[in-house]
Amino acid sequence: MAAVPHFASTDPQRNDPFDAAAGALASRFCVFHAALGALRGLVLHVHPFAEEMNKSRRMAALQSRALAAAGFAVLQFDLLGCGDSAGDFGDATWDHWKADTAWAAGYLRDRAGAPVSTTLWLWGHRVGALLAAQAADDIAAATGSAPSLLLWQPSGSGKTALQQFLRLKAAAEMLDGGSKGVIASLKLELSAGRPVEVAGYRLHAAMAAGLEAATLAPPRHTARVVWLEVALGEAPELLPASRLALERWRKAGWAVDAATVPGPAFWQTTEIEDAPALVERSLQALAA
Amino acid sequence: MNPTTDVLRTLDEVLSLGGRAMKFTRDTPLLGAVPELDSMAVVTLITSLEERFGITVDDDEIDGATFASVGSLVDFVVAKCS
Repeated sequence: MAAVPHFASTDPQRNDPFDAAAGALASRFCVFHAALGALRGLVLHVHPFAEEMNKSRRMAALQSRALAAAGFAVLQFDLLGCGDSAGDFGDATWDHWKADTAWAAGYLRDRAGAPVSTTLWLWGHRVGALLAAQAADDIAAATGSAPSLLLWQPSGSGKTALQQFLRLKAAAEMLDGGSKGVIASLKLELSAGRPVEVAGYRLHAAMAAGLEAATLAPPRHTARVVWLEVALGEAPELLPASRLALERWRKAGWAVDAATVPGPAFWQTTEIEDAPALVERSLQALAA
Repeated sequence: MNPTTDVLRTLDEVLSLGGRAMKFTRDTPLLGAVPELDSMAVVTLITSLEERFGITVDDDEIDGATFASVGSLVDFVVAKCS
């Protein structure tokens, strides 16, 4: 079944997402993959942050197609200000993105014509995993049905993710033979509520604050949790930080299916690379 | 563990060098000499080294002298580990 790229409006009152005057910021770019055969479940992809999203496009598409062929209806969508969706990156805040994720879950269910009893998976990658874990409770509260989580190399914390993003500016300055103290001055600007420009992305102070506060805490409501990482080597292991985080999830009562599969860190490698073992293991976990 | 081999393996993975980094020596220049080493690659390299060696790189240590050559980078990592 072919994937269907289209624009959808987050505002149900507006059926014309191309109307720049009114509905412009409501328009989200979506790719819907219809399930082949009987519907086994819904999968909503929540993409990573900034450049990592671009690098992950190919793997996200490969996984989506594999899931659709196995009977899952899959929705890929771009968050506000990302990719082909409306808005500028610098307009978006963390709360916008949480609301986007909850909206997309409902949109996917409608689009697939699935009853509320059909399992919904939130498939979050890197910072998208933080977003998915946070949105899970909102979605459970709104629908009365707890989603499951498929986490790909989840960012350990928003604080670390923000730090890594701000480092891009320090690295660029270093390559130009420039000055130190770049990150400190960025943080000063953000704490004063002003946006900063990093690697061609304007970062809203509220986005920085929301991201920084985001933790990969176990949601109150979730059905199943699958946590997958990739690493090079013959018998790769989970990152030490992830082992600690998993202990917290297990103590909170979640039976997490966690594994590391061999493959490159395709969301950040210089060349676009594939991790077929990750696609295979994800499919296995969801079909179980 | 041989820190030079581990640093080279990390470089090779991050920069998608397909094994080319494993032939690097201490004297191989990095910054300005390896075109794949752009700002995103530098950040990824730092993060990967942090994860692999269990170290924390301070903001002020993102410095040209650290990334000048294989030797300077290995020395930096070894100093951080000790």
